[in-house]
Amino acid sequence: MSIMEYNGGSVVAMVGKNCVAIASDKRLGVQLMTVSTEFPKIFPATDKSFIGLPGLATDIQTLSERFRFKINMYKLGEEREIEPRTLAHMVSSTLYERRFGPYFVEPIIAGLDKHNQPFICGMDLIGCINFAKDFVVGGTSGESLFGICESLWEPDLEPEDLFEVISQSMLNAVDRDCLSGWGAIVHVITPEKVITRTLKARMD
Amino acid sequence: MDCLIGIVGKDFVLTAADTSAARSITVMKSTEDKSRDLNKHIVMLYSGEPGDTVHFAEYIQRNIRFYEIKNGIELTPKAAATFTRKELATSLRSRKPYSVNLLIAGYDITTLSSHLYWIDYLGSSVSVPFAAHGYGAYYTLSLLDRYHRSDISLDEAKILIKKCIDELKTRFIINLANFKIKVADKDGIREIEI
Amino acid sequence: MTTRLEQPKGGFNFDNYQRNVFLEQKGITLPKMTKTGTTIVGLIYKDGVCLGADTRATAGPIVADKNCEKIHYLAPNIHCCGAGTAADTEYTTALISSQLELHRLTTGRKSRVATALIMLKQMLFRYQGHIGAALVLGGYDINGPCLYTIHPHGSTDKLPYVTMGSGSLAAMSVFESRWRKDLERQEAIDLVKDAIESGIFNDLGSGSNVDVTVIEKDKVDVYRNYAKPNERGQKEQSYKFNRGTTAILKESIKDLVIITEGIEEMDIS
Repeated sequence: MSIMEYNGGSVVAMVGKNCVAIASDKRLGVQLMTVSTEFPKIFPATDKSFIGLPGLATDIQTLSERFRFKINMYKLGEEREIEPRTLAHMVSSTLYERRFGPYFVEPIIAGLDKHNQPFICGMDLIGCINFAKDFVVGGTSGESLFGICESLWEPDLEPEDLFEVISQSMLNAVDRDCLSGWGAIVHVITPEKVITRTLKARMD
Repeated sequence: MDCLIGIVGKDFVLTAADTSAARSITVMKSTEDKSRDLNKHIVMLYSGEPGDTVHFAEYIQRNIRFYEIKNGIELTPKAAATFTRKELATSLRSRKPYSVNLLIAGYDITTLSSHLYWIDYLGSSVSVPFAAHGYGAYYTLSLLDRYHRSDISLDEAKILIKKCIDELKTRFIINLANFKIKVADKDGIREIEI
Repeated sequence: MTTRLEQPKGGFNFDNYQRNVFLEQKGITLPKMTKTGTTIVGLIYKDGVCLGADTRATAGPIVADKNCEKIHYLAPNIHCCGAGTAADTEYTTALISSQLELHRLTTGRKSRVATALIMLKQMLFRYQGHIGAALVLGGYDINGPCLYTIHPHGSTDKLPYVTMGSGSLAAMSVFESRWRKDLERQEAIDLVKDAIESGIFNDLGSGSNVDVTVIEKDKVDVYRNYAKPNERGQKEQSYKFNRGTTAILKESIKDLVIITEGIEEMDIS
């Protein structure tokens, strides 16, 4: 059993036309036993950026606290909000610092920068950044997500269409994964607003 | 082999922990209390490696008490759970980590609501409407899922806990003779019989 | 009770090591890191050095990134191709690049390729191969064009044409048959491109596009995606869903723009 599969969970992020979306499932389990169906894996970094953390639950929580601390310190020191690209490097360095004793997470970052340009990226557990222009995936349904995103995603999706694509990708991928699912949450970030939706999903 | 159960009701949390202390295949004691009161409104149930459990529980209990004396405020269940999680997660990075699973149940006097936190030895913490630890979880979670409602009354919760214990008595190979049942609500923590 | 979150001081942190050993003892396997299966090459031609790389990153058998960058910047006149554990190549080159920059600022001289070589090999040797970076280092300095390979344990070679990574055999066969002394610039680029393409097509760990960087005296040209032999076909149909397909349980909208209507009249009372 891989340690990434101990608690289960998946995250996906996609780029649209002047918008980005990030989605996760809501399950927390201990191997095949489901403990909670309300476990958050996506954390707000700034108004217009989010960090998704699929992986080992204890590390998700420890890192979400560390990142909150670092983001706040950045804001106090620089007197401005952190840019998503800077955020990605901050997350990456935090992980690479522990190259020889890693945190078991595959972070995914999604946001709009100061010019409202979409930014997404994914990372492995030691902080190797993947700057994708289309979509990034992570977690126990990663492989299923790769497949479905590859066929459903297309360039220049409007926020509402992007919402449908990311939601359907997420829902259908986790249906083929015992360790993810039990509800899903989607954030669509546009220059004007952040839309957060809880999806109706299969509960089996 | 320990079994811990917790149920959140409308304005209370009901918890149950078996009372047998076993070593290898022998039951050494049948009146062990596997809980510690963290303050007037929060109770913590623990299971896991014998020795680690009581030591860790009392370490948490006294640190939370110390914090409350120092700052003159009572910790909320969320605050107590966050602190405890951090201690466990930090301990996991030490030479000999604590092997302790916990349920933190309490009544939040600031928001007048009841909470239950499920925490495992890795330091994963999550707020849940009902929870169980140990082998008992495999038998009781399905019952809890079927019969739990967010507005469940104390009497109904007692019946539900009884159902869970009966299930363990019939299906679980290990004899868990007795359970200690506790309630945390606005009036504090008290032990009850069912 | 309050534990302070310290800002990192730099260097590696081994806090989680004990814990991960503890978890491993419980029969848990460590997850896959992103590797660059990789074909990377370099050759010396008449007026400089030409470096090449494919653009596939893998996590086990899965393609993690279809168009990643494997030719890293070290100094204005030195670039470096990386194969192996992706994060290691990324951070090792970034670290040495920053040290070279500081070195240039203190000495006021151009960086030399040999300096970068020594810094890289000493770092990799110090970590005894645990930093899994295999590098092709190329640049132009006062000694003319220089080309080296560095292995993860810190051993190095100085050769006129080199290949590394899982596609190194495929690429080397191309070099062995066609490399000769004093190639022209375009001949060199074409040879590098063909070597990388043989890696892309014959090695499963390599794929996608060809990146080329040409370093000459006082001139560096970075050709990102110089050749794209694996372009994706245009989709004939769209799988777009009708809006409202997904059932929603809850919705909350956070407005980032505050809309105020009209212009408020100034209070002059």
